[in-house]
Amino acid sequence: MFLTKLALKNLIRHRNRTLITACIIAAAVFLYLIFDSLIAGMTDMSYDTLIDYETGHLQIVHRDYWAEEEKLPLEDLLSLEELATLSQVDGEVARSPELAFPARLSNGMNELPVVGKGIIPDEFLRIFPLEDKFVAGSMFALGEYKAVMGKRLADLLDLQVGDFITLLVRDKNETFNTIEAEIGGLIHTINANVNQNVVYVPLDIAGHALAVPEKVSKVIIKLEDKNGAPRIAREIEARLPAKIGAYPWNELEAITFAGAKNAGIMVMTTILLVIAAIAIVNTVILAALERMGEIGMMKAMGLQEKELIYLFVTESVGIGILGGLAGVLLGLIGVALLVRIGIDWSAQTGVDMSSFGIPVLGTMYGSWNPLAFLRIFCFSLIVSFFASIPPAYWAAAKDPIEAIEYR
Amino acid sequence: MKRLIGLFLCFLFLVHLGAAFAAELTAEEIIRRRDHNEYVNTASAEAEMIIVNNNRKTTKTMVSYADEDNGLVIFTNPRDRGTKFLKRGDDLWMFFPDAEELIKISGHMLNQGMMGSDFSYQDIMESDKLTDLYDFTLLGEEELNGRPCYVLEGIAAPGKEVSYYRRKSWVDKEKFIGWKEELYARSGRLLKVMETKRIEQIGERWYPMEMVMEDKLRKNTRTEFIVRAIEFNPEIPADTFTLENLR
Repeated sequence: MFLTKLALKNLIRHRNRTLITACIIAAAVFLYLIFDSLIAGMTDMSYDTLIDYETGHLQIVHRDYWAEEEKLPLEDLLSLEELATLSQVDGEVARSPELAFPARLSNGMNELPVVGKGIIPDEFLRIFPLEDKFVAGSMFALGEYKAVMGKRLADLLDLQVGDFITLLVRDKNETFNTIEAEIGGLIHTINANVNQNVVYVPLDIAGHALAVPEKVSKVIIKLEDKNGAPRIAREIEARLPAKIGAYPWNELEAITFAGAKNAGIMVMTTILLVIAAIAIVNTVILAALERMGEIGMMKAMGLQEKELIYLFVTESVGIGILGGLAGVLLGLIGVALLVRIGIDWSAQTGVDMSSFGIPVLGTMYGSWNPLAFLRIFCFSLIVSFFASIPPAYWAAAKDPIEAIEYR
Repeated sequence: MKRLIGLFLCFLFLVHLGAAFAAELTAEEIIRRRDHNEYVNTASAEAEMIIVNNNRKTTKTMVSYADEDNGLVIFTNPRDRGTKFLKRGDDLWMFFPDAEELIKISGHMLNQGMMGSDFSYQDIMESDKLTDLYDFTLLGEEELNGRPCYVLEGIAAPGKEVSYYRRKSWVDKEKFIGWKEELYARSGRLLKVMETKRIEQIGERWYPMEMVMEDKLRKNTRTEFIVRAIEFNPEIPADTFTLENLR
């Protein structure tokens, strides 16, 4: 008890050192919390971006197609007639069939590889909120030889509303075919893939050109609550033939890919933690070295090695608690500001962040992650604890005279 | 009696007319003869590909080996030296020496121009005889580049997987070489035009030595393909068309 009291007294006695070390720990904790909040916010936004513009909450797909989806095959498609028998499920808001196909987009001068999507416009717009994303023109109607694409893609080929494009496709028999269409509308969303790689055409025109009339790659479903997707997927599967599967949003490839990207970001966060740990260790070691003379004096007065180590570790953990708490408090304020106000990157940098595939248009918001607060507080304590042991051992093992005359 | 003589004369006229038609070649026979000239079973060749894109001109040289359904192309120009393409049946692989990477070209990648040329990978994949893939009809006769030609139209045979639904060919009436070919999508859109600029008699067959391909979905581009040397039915080592040989 005496040693614990001494350790606490030491913390107050060496006020400046305690404050500086605690400040460094607090800064590391604060930076981690801000970074974590921004990453979590971006993850939420990227999931929402994919769900809102590409995947929906749930997809009905032929199981064999699912395995080959990346290649956008024209095999194992779903029959619209067959799907018409599937009645609405509880919690379903809307559904939209989609026929996806690889294509080469030509403006008569140059070509670009794109993904074509045959859609039923009314049903599509009930799932994906694109109405207010049109920067020019409007959505086409079924049967019209018109196309809608991202403004960025149109800019790449110097296209405008009213221009004619050719989509070169291969039909079900692997024979080349073309879809000649007028550009009906240009959109700009926060989804970089939709902006740069996708051309929408009416489903009937696409089906005819690809020699797969009345067939679709998938049916996309929007739900009232995205968290209900796994349960509703199971319900739908029970009503469908075994060859057809219902896949909730969290199992979709685009989402898992986004998850993998986030795993990469988590690696970066870990590196940030390691850097923070090094800063803490460095500060604690320096503080110990600074007190060599004091250690020698205490040893000369009869303090045993294990008592010295206990003293050191207690002081270090005390600093860790102080720094951790201060960091968490600052983090609470910072994250609260991020969640409420956010950061407008485009205003800060003058650059549209969605150009880089970052799903941000306008302001980027943070997200609350209570686990991160707990994690970083414990982390700062553990690092302070372990960081203090080696220098304490080293100093305690020294001869008292050597320690006193260390400098 | 006069009536009988009249009928006899009519009969003779009809017989003569029939014989005259029989002497004319059918569309299938014309294409078969063209295939006989242009279709290669086994060959090795040195060739040059000149890709013209607006004002930019890129020349690539290559040696190639073909044996039935298999083919190997090795680029020899300094920039692409060691880049190889291997076709085995319906599969196509590419090897980049710098990356030491073997890539299988499949799906929509096959629609892209080979090494930036106007020939798509799919174009080099189709090695079947035209008579096996298309139903041809004779549209008429025309003179092209000073040569009398048959004009034929080929429509994809039912059940056959072909890249181009329709092709219109100008085939030399005497040498049975295709001087020009227009390749169409199923929608009727003209996609590519290939013209033969120079032919050569090698042994008993005529063979196109210089061709120009134009992708009609792009402007101001064309690819010239020039055969510098070709040998038919050479001895090709058995392991030429293996993936191990590609690395």
